[in-house]
Amino acid sequence: MLQSRFDRLSERLLTAGIVPRHVRRYCRELGDHFDDLVREEKAGGATPELAETRALARLGSDDALADAMLSRPELRSFMARYPWAVFGLGPIALLALSVMGGLYLEFWLLNHSGGIFRLWTGQGPGPVNAKLATEVYTVYNTLIVYGGPLLFAWALYWLGSRQRIPMAWTITGVAIVCVLGGFQDIIFYDTGCRGCGHLIVHSDLVPPFQHFAQHLTRAALNLAIAGGVWWFKVKRRTSHALALSRAA
Amino acid sequence: MPNPSFMNGVPELLVLRTLEAKEMYGYELVQAIRARTNQAITLGEGVVYPALHALEAEGMLKSRRKLVNGRTRVYYALTKKGEKHLAGLVRHWQHITDAIGLAIGGTAHAAIAL
Repeated sequence: MLQSRFDRLSERLLTAGIVPRHVRRYCRELGDHFDDLVREEKAGGATPELAETRALARLGSDDALADAMLSRPELRSFMARYPWAVFGLGPIALLALSVMGGLYLEFWLLNHSGGIFRLWTGQGPGPVNAKLATEVYTVYNTLIVYGGPLLFAWALYWLGSRQRIPMAWTITGVAIVCVLGGFQDIIFYDTGCRGCGHLIVHSDLVPPFQHFAQHLTRAALNLAIAGGVWWFKVKRRTSHALALSRAA
Repeated sequence: MPNPSFMNGVPELLVLRTLEAKEMYGYELVQAIRARTNQAITLGEGVVYPALHALEAEGMLKSRRKLVNGRTRVYYALTKKGEKHLAGLVRHWQHITDAIGLAIGGTAHAAIAL
């Protein structure tokens, strides 16, 4: 009974935007406090049932416990206060940062990878090493371009469900990251001479729309994968809740 | 004291003052407050935790987990910032109690009993 009471309290606080860390700790501390009160009442001569009833009364009503937390605006999460920033601007910032971070790492690797490629191929700078470099960086870029948006979509979904953010915000964030991410490209060609490679970063959402259909397909694929994972999770959670209610 | 607006700031004052002497966990703190105020001020025991969390978020308190008798407790202790804030709160409440003491015709030495 106490656990279900704390579960309800926890849901109420999370939905109201209290930081999950504070909610978890609050419920744990209330549980410990309850145990201490029961022990104190029993030591005073109360029966176990009476001790629990008195302990619950001393702890405070559901509304009092919730209101005490909700009256502290400093305990509300940034995400609950500014969902537009996290789920509107966040995906754009995340994609931009992932591309910038990827490029930075790529420049660093290009300046330091000559020795590695020489060890690998046994040859100095030239077409063989250039081919290998192009292949290695194509794999790396593909991971950023294809994996990044899906990873961010999962992170946004996880953050949103953890804080019980309205589903509309989560869907907005996931859709933005999937679509924008589907249209971004990083392409690298090493031509074999020092400083002569080509590094292309672009989004096909701006002219000249050279591979628009291809990028649109990738965006749709991102949305389908993210939507599929979400549907699977919701289905699993629903069946779990059904099993729990049947067991109860 | 049933008037909520009059009680504004009282839980913080009581919590900080009680934690001034030593670090405590929630239950221990509530019992200490009850004892120090001769049970004149009885807070809903569960509602002390939001005050503790908020004071910690403001840097007035610090917390640490400690294993005691096989159970992990969250112990709260006063920080330097908390000590300064407490000194200000005590001065403020002494002004108020002095003023009320004068208003009701008593002496101006109605010390705050904490």
